Amino acid sequence: MLNPKTLLVSFSLLCGAIAFAQDRTISGKVVSTKENVGVAGVSITVKGTNTGTSTGPDGAFSLTAPAGRVTLQLSSVGYVTKEHVVEASQNNIVIDMVEGSQELGEVVVTALGIQRQAKSLVYATQSVKPSELTEIRDPNNVLNGLQGKVANALITQGSGGPGSGARIVLRGNKSLQQSNNALIVVDGVPLNNSTGGTLTSDFGGIQGSDGVSSINPDDIESVNVLRGASAAALYGSQAGNGVIVITTKKGVKDRLHVTINSGFNSETAIALPDVQNQYGQGTGGQITTAGDSWGAKMTGQSYTNFLGNQANYSPQSDNIKDFFRTGLSTNNSIGISGGTDKAQTYLAYHYDFVQGIIPTNDLERHTINARITNQISKRFSTDAKVTYINQKIENRPRTGEENAPTIDIYNIARSIPTSDAEQAETVDNLGVPTPTAFPSTLSSIYQNPYWLLDRTHINEQRDRVIGFLSAKFNITDWLSISGRANLDKTMDNGQNEVSKGTILWAASGGNYSISDVANTEKWFDVMLDGNNKITNDLKINYRAGAIYQDRKYDATFSSANGLNITNKFSMNFAKTPNVSSEFTQVQVQSVFGQLNLSWKDAIYLDASLRNDWDSRLADPHTYSYPSIGLAAVVSDLISLPSFMSYLKGSINYAEVGNGGQAKLLTTTYNYSQGAGSGFLQRSATLPIPGLKPEIVKSIEGSIEARFLDSRVGFMATYYKSNSRNQLLTIALPVATGYSNQYINAGNIQNQGFELVASAFPVRNTDFTWEVALNFSTNTNKIVELSPDVKTAALGGGFGRSATPVVTEGGSYGDLWALQWATDDKGQHLVTAAGLPAITSSQAKIGNFNPKSLWGLTNTVNYKNFSLRLLIDGRAGGTIVSGTEMNLAFSGIPEVTQNFREGGWNLGGVDANGAPVSTAINAEQFWKIASGKRYGVAEFFAYDATCFRVRELAIGYNIPLKSSNILKYVTGVKLSFVGRNLGFLYRGDSRLDIPGLGTRKMWFDPDMSLGNSNWQGVEYGTLPPTRSLGINLRITF
Amino acid sequence: MKLIRMLVNTNLQIAVICASVLCVCSCTKDYAEINTDRNSVATIGPAELPFLFSRAQKEATPSIWNYQIAQNLFADQYAQYIANSATYFPSDRLVIRMDWVGAAFNPIYTDVVPQLQSIFEAADPASPEYALANVLWVLVFHRVTDYWGPIPYFQAGVPGKSVPYDPQDQIYADFFTRLAAAVSVLKANLTAKPYGDWDLMYKGDVTKWLKFANTLRLRLALRISKVDPAKAKTEAEAAVADGTLAESPGDDALVLRSETGQDYNGLSVMSDWNEFRMSATMESVLKGYQDPRMPVYFLPAANGQYEGHRNGLTSIQQTEAINLPANNSHVGARWASPAFGGNASYLSTSQNVMATAEAYFLRAEGALLGWNMGGTAQSLYESGITQSMKQWGITDAATINAYINSTKTPIAPNDYLNSPAVTDIPVKWAATLDDQLEQVALQKWLAMYPDGMEAWADYRRSHVLKLYPVANSDNPDITNTTTQWIRRIPFLESEKLNNGPAVEAAVGLLGGPDKITTPLWWDKN
Repeated sequence: MLNPKTLLVSFSLLCGAIAFAQDRTISGKVVSTKENVGVAGVSITVKGTNTGTSTGPDGAFSLTAPAGRVTLQLSSVGYVTKEHVVEASQNNIVIDMVEGSQELGEVVVTALGIQRQAKSLVYATQSVKPSELTEIRDPNNVLNGLQGKVANALITQGSGGPGSGARIVLRGNKSLQQSNNALIVVDGVPLNNSTGGTLTSDFGGIQGSDGVSSINPDDIESVNVLRGASAAALYGSQAGNGVIVITTKKGVKDRLHVTINSGFNSETAIALPDVQNQYGQGTGGQITTAGDSWGAKMTGQSYTNFLGNQANYSPQSDNIKDFFRTGLSTNNSIGISGGTDKAQTYLAYHYDFVQGIIPTNDLERHTINARITNQISKRFSTDAKVTYINQKIENRPRTGEENAPTIDIYNIARSIPTSDAEQAETVDNLGVPTPTAFPSTLSSIYQNPYWLLDRTHINEQRDRVIGFLSAKFNITDWLSISGRANLDKTMDNGQNEVSKGTILWAASGGNYSISDVANTEKWFDVMLDGNNKITNDLKINYRAGAIYQDRKYDATFSSANGLNITNKFSMNFAKTPNVSSEFTQVQVQSVFGQLNLSWKDAIYLDASLRNDWDSRLADPHTYSYPSIGLAAVVSDLISLPSFMSYLKGSINYAEVGNGGQAKLLTTTYNYSQGAGSGFLQRSATLPIPGLKPEIVKSIEGSIEARFLDSRVGFMATYYKSNSRNQLLTIALPVATGYSNQYINAGNIQNQGFELVASAFPVRNTDFTWEVALNFSTNTNKIVELSPDVKTAALGGGFGRSATPVVTEGGSYGDLWALQWATDDKGQHLVTAAGLPAITSSQAKIGNFNPKSLWGLTNTVNYKNFSLRLLIDGRAGGTIVSGTEMNLAFSGIPEVTQNFREGGWNLGGVDANGAPVSTAINAEQFWKIASGKRYGVAEFFAYDATCFRVRELAIGYNIPLKSSNILKYVTGVKLSFVGRNLGFLYRGDSRLDIPGLGTRKMWFDPDMSLGNSNWQGVEYGTLPPTRSLGINLRITF
Repeated sequence: MKLIRMLVNTNLQIAVICASVLCVCSCTKDYAEINTDRNSVATIGPAELPFLFSRAQKEATPSIWNYQIAQNLFADQYAQYIANSATYFPSDRLVIRMDWVGAAFNPIYTDVVPQLQSIFEAADPASPEYALANVLWVLVFHRVTDYWGPIPYFQAGVPGKSVPYDPQDQIYADFFTRLAAAVSVLKANLTAKPYGDWDLMYKGDVTKWLKFANTLRLRLALRISKVDPAKAKTEAEAAVADGTLAESPGDDALVLRSETGQDYNGLSVMSDWNEFRMSATMESVLKGYQDPRMPVYFLPAANGQYEGHRNGLTSIQQTEAINLPANNSHVGARWASPAFGGNASYLSTSQNVMATAEAYFLRAEGALLGWNMGGTAQSLYESGITQSMKQWGITDAATINAYINSTKTPIAPNDYLNSPAVTDIPVKWAATLDDQLEQVALQKWLAMYPDGMEAWADYRRSHVLKLYPVANSDNPDITNTTTQWIRRIPFLESEKLNNGPAVEAAVGLLGGPDKITTPLWWDKN
C-alpha cells in the first residue's frame, strides 16, 4: 500500500508544485561560531525534500517545512556543511556554523564557478574571508588586502598611488617575458586584469591601474585561491600562474535585507628616507647655489638664499615630510537584497573616495551592481548581473627616477624650508606661470616638486561594464546543461597635461597627450554536467563543455608635441599632432572534459582534459593538456586515534598551456610619422612562424590533518612546477638586422613547501581565539634557458642601479650590479687616492625573491568584541635602494654626514695587496659610490627581510534591544582598523662599509616601482602608508 | 506529455551542445586574419620603398634619442667641439659607457640595414634608387668602422646565431667598390628623381648625390692616405675628376627633420637638457680668430661673453661657479630653444650631414700630398673657408677676405684651469708644409662643426690638429692625457653577450688588445 501522503508529495514534486498538506514555518538565524554574527547566504534545505531557502545578510531565515521532526541541511561557502535537527515543537531556532578555511565539509568555489566540497578536492586551495577584505581596506587596490593572508602569495604594491596595479605571484615566478600575475576570476570568468602601462626600468614612469583595482570588496561573497596548476587546469592558458576565484554576492529570498557599510581611513606616509640635518645646501663644505647638500655645517648663519633673500642657514628636518599629506578616504556602500522563491535581486551602490598622500592625487569611484537570479521553472534557472564602474583618478603621480614628485622632494637641499620651496612659480603678465629657479641637484632632471603638483596633471577616467547572463536547465535529476555569456568592457581615457617650463616632459607651449584604450573581453561557455551513483559506494560526476573567448585591445594615442596657445590643454591647440593606433585581438576556443570519481565519499579521483584552439599560434592553432589527481580522506576509511579528527592526503599532476603572444608569426613593417611623408621600418624582432604554446607542468602533494575535535589543524603542501617552451625574447647579434627574436625554450623550475595551520586555543560560545599561520618557501631554478642564450635581462633590460636577470643555473630575479672591487683574498680595493675601486661590469649581488613568506593572524571574539591582528613578513632576498644611491651623491642621506671633514680611511688595499693610507672625505666617497644616476648598487643593497604588523581590527557588535526605536536594525558593527602599523624587523645593508658599518633598511621592500617582472629595485617609489580608520556596518 | 516534451527538449539541448562543439573545432579559419596587425604593413612593394629609404636616412645620421649617446657624449667630446658640463656623465673623462655607445652601433644594423637590404632586394642594381642606397650604406658604415675597427659588415643583415666581424681594410675596399658602382650609375641617370620627395637630403637630385658620393669617396681616400697612399691617391683623383661638393649652401648635405612624429634634430633635443657647453678649445680658436661663425655656433654665456669649458673636469670641479652651465656658452641658436636665446623652430632644424667646405679642405690636403686635386692647396683652402662662411650665412666678401688674410691666433680661453692658447697658428696661409697641414686640419675642424664623428676620426687619422689634454682621465687605460688619446671604442658588452665568438675572432683582427688605446688600421700615428 502506498501512503497517500507519500504519493501526494511525490506527485507534488513531479508537477513542480510546492504546496504541502501540513506545513509549518520555521524561522531563525544562522550564526558563525567564531564571530557570533549572522551568516549571510547560507543555503538551507529540508532533508528529503527540495524545500529550501537562504539566509539574509544578517543570517535570518524563514522556511516552510512539514510538520514533525525535520532535519535541515545547511551549506555555505567558507563554512562546514551541517545538518541540524529541528524538533516538532521548535519554530524559532538559532543554528551555529563553524567557519573554517580547512574544515571538513567546507564548500569552495573552484574553476569555472563549480562549487565543490573541500574534502573532495585533489589539490590545495585556500579561502580568504571577505570580511577580512572589507573591514580593513587597502584604499589603493583590493589585492593589497590579501597580503599575509595567502600562503605563497608574494604581493608587491604598485607605487603609483590609489588605483595603481599590484603584483601577485603565487608559487614563484614562472614566466620570463609574460606576466607572472595570478589570474583573477570573477563569477567563473577571467577578469581583464591588464595594466595600462607599467614601469620596466629605473628611469620611472607612470604605473597604471590594473583591472582588479576597480573591484569593490563589498560585493565579494567569497575568495578562494587556487595556487597550483591542477586546480586551475580548466581555465587553460591564463591559469598557469594560479587563480584567485572571486564570487560576488547575489540576492536572497524572503524579506528585504539592507546592508550599509561606511568606512573612513586616513593614510600617512611612513618609511621616508633617513636624512642628515647637519650640512646644508652647497658643495665642498661651502654654501653655494648648487642643489646638493655638501655645504657648510648649518648653524643658523645668515646667507642669501636661492630666492635672493637673506635667510638663516639652518636645518629643515621636516622639509620632506611636509610635502606629503594625510590622505583621507571614505567608502560608503548600500546593498539591498530580497526576493521570492522564484526571483531574487541584489542591488548595490558603492562610492569610494581615496585621497593619495601626494597632494592633489585623488581617486573617485562609483560602482553600481544589479543581479537578478530567477528560478523560472522547476528545471530552468537564470542568473544575470550587470556591474558598471566609473572611476576617476586625478593627478596620478609619476614614480621612479626622472622628475617625479617623490624623487624631487627627496632631493631638496637640507637647508631649504618648505615655505621657500612652495614658492614654485611666478606668473607673467600674460598669465603664464614660469617655474621659479630652484636649486636642484640636477637641473635638467629634477625640479621643484611643488611645481609638478600644480602644473602637471596625469588624469585617468575609466568606464567599465561587466555583465553576464547564465542559464541552467536540469534535463534530469542527474544531468544538467548550463550556458553563460560574459562581457567585460573597460574604456580608459588618459590625459596628460604638462605646463610650459616643466623639465623633461614639456614641449614648447606646454604639452598634452591623450590615450583612449578599450579592452573588450567576451566569454561564452556551455557545459553539460552530470552525476550518477554507479553503486552505493561509487559515484561519478562529469562535465563536458566548450568555451569561446575573444579579447580585443584597441587603443589610440594622440600627442600634441607642443601647444600653439600656451598651456591650453586641448588637441585643438596642438603644434604637430601625432596619432598612433594599436590593436590586438586574441581568440581562443576550447573544449574540456572533467571526471570526478568518488568511492565511499572518501577516495576521490579527478581527471580533466582541455583542448584549445588559439589564434596566436600557427595553423592548426591547437594544443591540449591534461590533469589528474587523487585524494583520500583517511579518517573516513579507517579508524584513527580519537585525538585525530581528520586526515586527508592528495596528489596531483597537471599541465597548463599558454598560447603566447599575438602577432609574432610574420614580419611587419611599422609606419611612423616624421619628416617628408613618414617612415616604414621593418620590425626589429625576428618572427617565430612555428610558435609553440608554453607549458607549465606541475605536481603537488598535500596532507591535511586536524586534531582534538578540529581545534588544531594543518595542511602541508609540496609542489614542483616546470615551465617549458617559454616564450623568450632573446637578443640576437644586431648585425643580423634584428635586435631580438622570440624562441620557445627554457625550463624554469619552482618548488616549495606550504604550511597553513590553525588552532583554537579557546573556543566557547562567548569567547573564541583562533590562531592561523601560513608559511611558505619557494626555490626557483633556471634549469635551462636555450642553447644559445645563457642570460636574459628581465623587463626593461640594463638597470642603472641594478639589473634583474635570469641566468641558466641561477634563479629567477638574480640582481646584477656594479660592486666595490676586491682582490683574490676578498680585500676591498682602493685607488691611490683612497677611493673605492669599482668593478668594470655588473655581477650578481643577490636575488629579489624572498626565501620564505609568513603570515600570522590572531582572531579573538569575546561576546560582542572582536579583534584581529595580522603580522606578516618575508625573509631573505635582496633589494637595492636606487633612491639612496641617487641621494647619496648629493649628501642627503643620514649616512653621508659622517667624515664630512675627511680623515676617513677605508682600510682597503691596492692592486698589489698593500694597504692604502690615503684618507678621504664623505663627498669624495659618495660621489664614487653613488654616481647619482649610474651607480654602484652594491653600496645600496639591503637584505629584504621585513616583518610588520600588517593589520589590526577591533570590532564591536552594538547590542540591539527589540524595543529599540531602530527596531528594523538587525546588526550594527563598529570597527577600528589599522594597516601597516609598524615594522617589527627590517634587514640591514649588505655591505659593511669600514667606518660606517651596516645600515638598517629605511624603506619598504613591498613597494615596487611597477608590477612588471622588473623587480628588486626601489627607486623614487612612493613611500608606504600607515592607515587608520573606522568602519561601521549596519544591517536591516 | 510533460515528460515527452522534456525529453525532446533534452535531445535538442544535447544537439545544440554537439553543434557548438563542432563549431568550435571548425571556426579557426579567421585566425590568420585575427592574428595580423592591421596597424602595420605586411609586405613591401615598390610603393613602400621610398618610405624605407626615408627611414634609413633618418637613422643614418644619429636620430633624436641616439644622438646623445652615440655621438655627443663620445666623439663630440673627443673632437673637443663641446665639453660635458653635467656632474653625472663620466665620458668626458674618457670613461666608455658601453651601454651608451651601443647607440652608434645597434641602430645602424636594426634601423638602417633592414631598410637598405629591402631596397637592394627589390631594386635593379642599375637603378639610381639602388645607387643611393649604396651611398647611404657607405656613409653609415664608415662611421661604425671608424669607431670600432673590425665590425660585422659583409654578413650584415643575414639572420643567424652569429655574424662575423670583418677586417677594416676589406671593409674600406668594399666602400670604394660600392661608391664607384654608385657613381657610374648616377652619371648615367643624371635627370632621374630617385625617391623624389622621400629623399630627405636632396629630394632625388642625382647631380647633388653624385657630388656627395664623390666627396665621401674623397674623404675615405684621405682616411687611408697613411696606410695605403697609392690607393688613396687613385680614389681621391677619381672622386675629384667626377666632381665633389662645390657650392654652399645648395650642395650642403642636410637631412630634413620635423616636429611631426618627434622626428627632431638630435642636437636640438639635447640642448634642452643643458648638459654640455662650448669647449675651451673652441673658445680659444674662435675668440682668437674673432671668427664670424662664433655667434652661429654658440650662444653667449650669462655674462654676455663666449665662454668655454675644459674637457674632462671632475664632478666636483663641475660644481665650481666658473664651470656651471649658465656661465658657459651653449650651442648656437640654430639648435637651442628660445628659453636659451635660440629659435622657435629649433627642434626641426635640418641635421648637418656633410659640408661643402669639407670637400675643399680634403682637396687642399690632397694637393699638399701632391695629388691632382684641380687647384692649388692655398686656393682650395681659401675656398673651403669661403664655403664654410656661406654655409653659416656669412656672405659679405670683405668679412670673409679679412678672415682669410687674418694673422690673429688662438688665445688663452680664461677658463677654470687657466689654459694657454690651444695653438699659435693663424688663418692666413702659412709658408711651411707642417703649418699648412695644421691650418687645413684646423679650418676643416671648424667647418665640420657639429659633426664630431668625422672630426674625431680626422683627428686620429691626421693628428695634426692641436687639442687640449683632457683634464682628468678616469679610464685606467689612459694615464697620461698629453701623450695618450682615445683611438677607438672597445667592442660592445652586448656583442660579447650575443655574438661572443665573433667578437673573440674580431680581437685577432685588431692587431692589439681590445682597448681604447689600440689604433685602427688606418691610424698610423
